[in-house]
Amino acid sequence: MSVARPAARRLISGRLASGPARRRPRFANVRAADMGLMDESQIDKFTKEKFPQYTKEEIEQLRTRYSPEQIAALEAGEAAINPRDLTVQGRLRSDPYALPYIDDFAENQPIVDKRARNKEAPDPNARFMNLDEFTEDLINWADKFQQGDVTGTLKTLVDFVPDEFKKVPEGRWTKEVRDDAQRAFQRYLEGEVNKQAKKNEGFLESESGPTDADVLQYILERSAMTDGNRTTNSSLAPALPSKVPGVAGLYKNAIDPEDGGMDDIGIYQDLKKRTGLTVRAILNLHNKCLVRRWVSNQTRLGKVGKTSIVWVAGNGDGWLGIGEAKSTEPTIAALKARLLAIRNMRPIRRYENRTIYGSVTSKVSGTVVKMSARPPGFGLRVSHRIFEMCRAAGISDLAASIPRSRNPMNSVKAAYHALCNQPNPDEIAIGRGKKLVDVRKVYYGGAVH
Amino acid sequence: MGIASITNACSHLQNATRARLGLTSLPSTKYNLRLALALHRAGLVSSVTRGGPRPPPPEALLATEVEPVTADNVATRRLWVGLKYWNNAPVMRNLAPVSKPSRLVTATVPELAKVARGFPVGPLKGLNLGETLFLSTDLGVLEVREALERKVGGLVLCRVS
Repeated sequence: MSVARPAARRLISGRLASGPARRRPRFANVRAADMGLMDESQIDKFTKEKFPQYTKEEIEQLRTRYSPEQIAALEAGEAAINPRDLTVQGRLRSDPYALPYIDDFAENQPIVDKRARNKEAPDPNARFMNLDEFTEDLINWADKFQQGDVTGTLKTLVDFVPDEFKKVPEGRWTKEVRDDAQRAFQRYLEGEVNKQAKKNEGFLESESGPTDADVLQYILERSAMTDGNRTTNSSLAPALPSKVPGVAGLYKNAIDPEDGGMDDIGIYQDLKKRTGLTVRAILNLHNKCLVRRWVSNQTRLGKVGKTSIVWVAGNGDGWLGIGEAKSTEPTIAALKARLLAIRNMRPIRRYENRTIYGSVTSKVSGTVVKMSARPPGFGLRVSHRIFEMCRAAGISDLAASIPRSRNPMNSVKAAYHALCNQPNPDEIAIGRGKKLVDVRKVYYGGAVH
Repeated sequence: MGIASITNACSHLQNATRARLGLTSLPSTKYNLRLALALHRAGLVSSVTRGGPRPPPPEALLATEVEPVTADNVATRRLWVGLKYWNNAPVMRNLAPVSKPSRLVTATVPELAKVARGFPVGPLKGLNLGETLFLSTDLGVLEVREALERKVGGLVLCRVS
């Protein structure tokens, strides 16, 4: 018979109607209690002996060590387990997964267990006492060692006269009253002296005041900090909290649920704040590595090589930025350059959202880039780096030439400068005081492209 | 002097505007006066005033003449030209003479029409955004668009942008 019985066959077997019937064993068993093997009184005795309940004193003792929540958890744990079950069912495990030692973890074994750290951590706000605090602390300590009598606590003669004479001056007391009071006061003073003598018997050797041991203890064990002499398991200050004020969030970026899990590493969080773009928008930007160079710095330790990268980023709709970064790690240089490019994005003037205004020339070092506006459908007849820049900026009709040096980095910079410095017809018109109309927007109702 | 004074005036005005001057002077000749007035019509200069060797006072710039020209003072007359600036940049940034004494460049109306649309004709390059040409015609010194309006060609003096 297979281990797993198919459900269909179980349905067919017809037991469903009557419910799962209890299988009667073929050979009847005899319960242990019926055989006299189990005696309830014996069980109770064993249980009370081996698994006693906490006494009230023990609970009080526990209360001093544990918080109310911990005490509640202890009580809940005690209530959850019936001690009888421990007696009847508790067995030493012999299965393969049993622990290799026998322990109920009630005691601390110094060889096996780590040292219990049951004291509080040092006071994080403690500092060394100043002069006033130290003086006060010293006085508090010295006050524990009483020296001489406490003054002002003894009764006076007035306390022994009847109430009606208490407000009357001593000279006007009657003789009987005065004699009685004198006698009672005498008795009281003798009693007090005896009492004090008895009390001082124990202190006779020390002559009262702190002993040498007390002084040594004061020097060695009294805390010099303002922590109220708190004892701890460690002399180390507590570790920095997980959130240090002023530093929290700077190094560990909280994952923003708005990102939709697209920026779990947190590389775009700074960009998000700077640009106001969402992570999805940042990831959707056009970007391209345009120039990649290997540069090196000659030092007395040798050549320090770095990768220098120029990246371009744009939204394909009139915004363009370039970023330049260097790093010994090419991937880091690329990331830095890309983030810088996105940060540096700025609007580029576009005529009819497809080309530039007029023609622009820009020069960086020996590189001159000339750009000219072109009619619709002309396309991008430009060199490959300027092509990528135009695509990122959303320019579709352009002619450009680089008549002189075609240095990659300078041509990218000059092209960016040219795109950012196009003439503005409106400004020209205002400067000359002329009215300016774009006739392409006048003919055919402006439907020219 | 003829065309040479025009090339000199172009150079001087370009230098003055790049030096961010507010008021500068040209020799008082008929040719210079016509060019300066054409520049004024095009909105490239703010004022044209005939005055003496000293700059006229600001209130006199509204008049065309500070004092009447007489036989005594005619030799000392200068044309005082006010320069314009907008958004911290000169309105008239580049002045390049086209004709020079060794080569006079003339253009007919059809040629001017092409140039004004941005196409090159002979030695003339097409006009770019914000550029204009000034011509000496039978009707005086005119901007290229004025010349086209009046259907007149002539000697191309300078290109201004």
